[in-house]
Amino acid sequence: MANRCRRRPAVPLLPLMGLIALAVPAMAGDSLRHEPIQPVPAVAPQDPARVALGRRLFGDPRLSGNDLVSCASCHDVKKGGADGRARSPGFNGRLTALNAPTVLNAALNFRQFWNGAAMTLEQQVGMVVENPVEMGARWPDVVRKVAADDAYRHAFGAAYRDGVTRANIENALASYERTLVTPGARFDRYLKGDSGAITSAEKSGYARFKQYGCVSCHQGVNVGGNMFQKFGAVTPPPPAQGAGLGRFLITGNPQDKQVFKVPGLRNVARTAPYFHDGSAATLDQAIDAMFRLQLGRHSSQEDRQLIAAFLVTLNAEPEGQP
Amino acid sequence: MKRRWQLGVMAALALSAALLYVLLQAPDYTESEYFEDVARLQHIRQLDAQWELDVMKARLNMLQGYDALVAPLSDLADLPAGLNKFPRNAELALDAQTYLKALDSKVVLVESFKSHNAVFRNSLAYLSAIADDVELHAAGRGLRHADAMRITRGVRETLLETLEYVERAADEDWAEIELHLAALLSAKGSLPPAMRELTENFELHVRIVLREHAEINRLVADITNAPTERRLNQIHAGLSGQLQRASDRGRQQRVALLALSAALSALLLYAAGCLLRSHAIINRVNASLQQANDTLECRVQERTRQLEDAQSQLVAAARDAGKAEIATNVLHNVGNVLNSVGVSAALLQQQVKASRGPGLDLAVALLRDHEGRLGHFLEHDERGRCLPAYLEGLALVLRTEREILAGELQQLHGRVDHVKEIVAAQQAYAGVSCLFEQCLAEDVIEQALGMSAVSLARHGVTVIRDYAALPPLRMDRHRVLQILVNLIGNAWRAMEGMPHRAHRITLRLRAHDAQMLRIEVVDNGVGILPENLERIFSHGFTTRKDGHGFGLHSCILAAREMGGSLSAHSAGAGLGATFTLELPCQQEETHELAAA
Repeated sequence: MANRCRRRPAVPLLPLMGLIALAVPAMAGDSLRHEPIQPVPAVAPQDPARVALGRRLFGDPRLSGNDLVSCASCHDVKKGGADGRARSPGFNGRLTALNAPTVLNAALNFRQFWNGAAMTLEQQVGMVVENPVEMGARWPDVVRKVAADDAYRHAFGAAYRDGVTRANIENALASYERTLVTPGARFDRYLKGDSGAITSAEKSGYARFKQYGCVSCHQGVNVGGNMFQKFGAVTPPPPAQGAGLGRFLITGNPQDKQVFKVPGLRNVARTAPYFHDGSAATLDQAIDAMFRLQLGRHSSQEDRQLIAAFLVTLNAEPEGQP
Repeated sequence: MKRRWQLGVMAALALSAALLYVLLQAPDYTESEYFEDVARLQHIRQLDAQWELDVMKARLNMLQGYDALVAPLSDLADLPAGLNKFPRNAELALDAQTYLKALDSKVVLVESFKSHNAVFRNSLAYLSAIADDVELHAAGRGLRHADAMRITRGVRETLLETLEYVERAADEDWAEIELHLAALLSAKGSLPPAMRELTENFELHVRIVLREHAEINRLVADITNAPTERRLNQIHAGLSGQLQRASDRGRQQRVALLALSAALSALLLYAAGCLLRSHAIINRVNASLQQANDTLECRVQERTRQLEDAQSQLVAAARDAGKAEIATNVLHNVGNVLNSVGVSAALLQQQVKASRGPGLDLAVALLRDHEGRLGHFLEHDERGRCLPAYLEGLALVLRTEREILAGELQQLHGRVDHVKEIVAAQQAYAGVSCLFEQCLAEDVIEQALGMSAVSLARHGVTVIRDYAALPPLRMDRHRVLQILVNLIGNAWRAMEGMPHRAHRITLRLRAHDAQMLRIEVVDNGVGILPENLERIFSHGFTTRKDGHGFGLHSCILAAREMGGSLSAHSAGAGLGATFTLELPCQQEETHELAAA
């Protein structure tokens, strides 16, 4: 999972060595191992036909009950994978319960949804399509609509052995989403040994991120997304209800009230507003809230600025996206 | 016998079916599958152990990030589906279910652990920072030195105690910490707000540390006690049992196979024995058949000989018949000629009978009577006076008679010669040889006419001759003569039945092409019906009451033997007929006949 590659000069020729010697200060650095954050690995190879199908389906509003919304309506790849709204209007205009998380790097999360209800991307697709607020469709209708389209039918017939089925639609979308990881962020280059990839302010932001303990939950390859945590682990949060109860709705365990999946912070600078309820409009507010609720300490302006600067270095685009 | 065969075949089929059934009961759990499953189980065990180890590492703050605690989940959950016989074995399914349940509860524990561990670590790290802050504040906030010192020391001691507790987890340390905290709390009231806030914060985090520490330890203990290992062992035992059962079944199957194949081969041997026996029988039967065949062969040969004898007899008979036919031909032809011979003889007889010779006898007798007075007689007797004239007249008549008789005898002689020739020709029939001689065709026709002259005269038939001038030619004279005599005979006989007409026969001689001679005999008699035109030439066909049907048949044969042809034309009944004889003929000189 972690890309622990050691940079070496590829061609050991004398003139090239001279050139490399000049570039040594810039490039010769060991990649940082043992960091709690790891660079995004390269995209796992996906079947190109299925990815193409998934890309088409991702933007296809026929997956919703009234043919009005598609996946891209709330998870816009051009807007960092989210839609910039605290909560999103579903197929009939009713607002969803929670903020739409980014689709970028969702493949790196250990579960999907704020409450971790879906174990895989395919499961997430299955649940969203039938969600009565979000897409409000029924799977047999969706399969019928997709199969009625000749182009889809031919493409599914080519890419899958059994043509248009619910499982194949889910798999196509998941295959596409798996290509929406974002390697090549500046911070990843820094982790791989390019110490000039981020500024010293950003480095100091990262140092504080670690020091204050943000990194104990926002760690791993996706800077989060691999554990649950109570929203208000130290300082109790304001009371919530409905979806705001988080994992309690899944497990029924009172200990799981307001426990959510820790979101990944890659591209976080692009996906305001923040938190499950979209209650923090800016990164500054979000960092402040986190300090209070999760760390139980005050944050200074400088802290917030540096940490925000660091978080910006996590931005990246998915590879090869049109 | 047939019944036995049927039974045998049914038995063989039943045995084969049973054999096939047993064979198709493939061992449903082979050793290789078992080892595969065990290897997978081993892998899962390792993942599980590594997972627990990673939890320990996280507990000891040696793990960077929690990705390692998440990675094995999919593999661990996939285990039951990856087993070789999972869907079919109910027991195994049950074990798998319990394993998955154990796994799920372990996962929940690990998740909980992660959450609590994060909080714990953060608060623990924060404690030192708070302690430093307290010290800083204490130094510059205008507190009494003693108070500041007290607070600072209290915080530091609490911190140490907390850290120790975290290290050792001894209950007396907890008690100590509580004491310290209590002390701090009691001193809180006298502190400025900033300090108070800090102290409260400190206390909060100490409590968090303590709480989370206990929680984490409990969780870790539960995680390591999770029964996943036991469940995996259960699955392993289940698989071993399955293998055992499968090999038992395999052994049974082998025994069954052995029994069935023994039975089948016994049956086959029996069938082979029967086959051999029937083979011997067949051989014996074959031998007797062969014998019968030979006997039959002999008998057939005998019969064939008999038939051949009969055939030669028949051939002889046929030959005789042929001879008879020839004889008949001869007889007929000779008969024809003999007819005219008879007629000639009859005529001669008549002539001789009607001869005036006796008149001479009378005259002589008269002379003898008047022997002494002959002169007187001759001069003075009336009979005597007539006598010289009478004798003269008598001499003339007798001369005439003699001439006629001579002519007649000449013809008779000719006819007898002809008969001789006929006989000679017939005798030479064995080689169907032709006797060629040089002659004029008109002479031959005239000879034929001569032979039939009497008959022709008797029937008042006018003969018209129409001869082309032809040089002498080589032909089989007697055969031609035969044919012509026959044809002429037929011609005047055909006019017998037509008394009111002038009977006329035309004989035409022409040269046809360069090498052929054509003789036509035309009559105006009763004619020939169209359907008879071919049939008249067949042996034994005749339209005359007194006919024997051999004449024309022998004519056409003779014509063909000479290399020619004979044909008949008739306009119909009562309209006469034309018989055409065509012959190839050769000349002495090699110049063509002039077309006449």
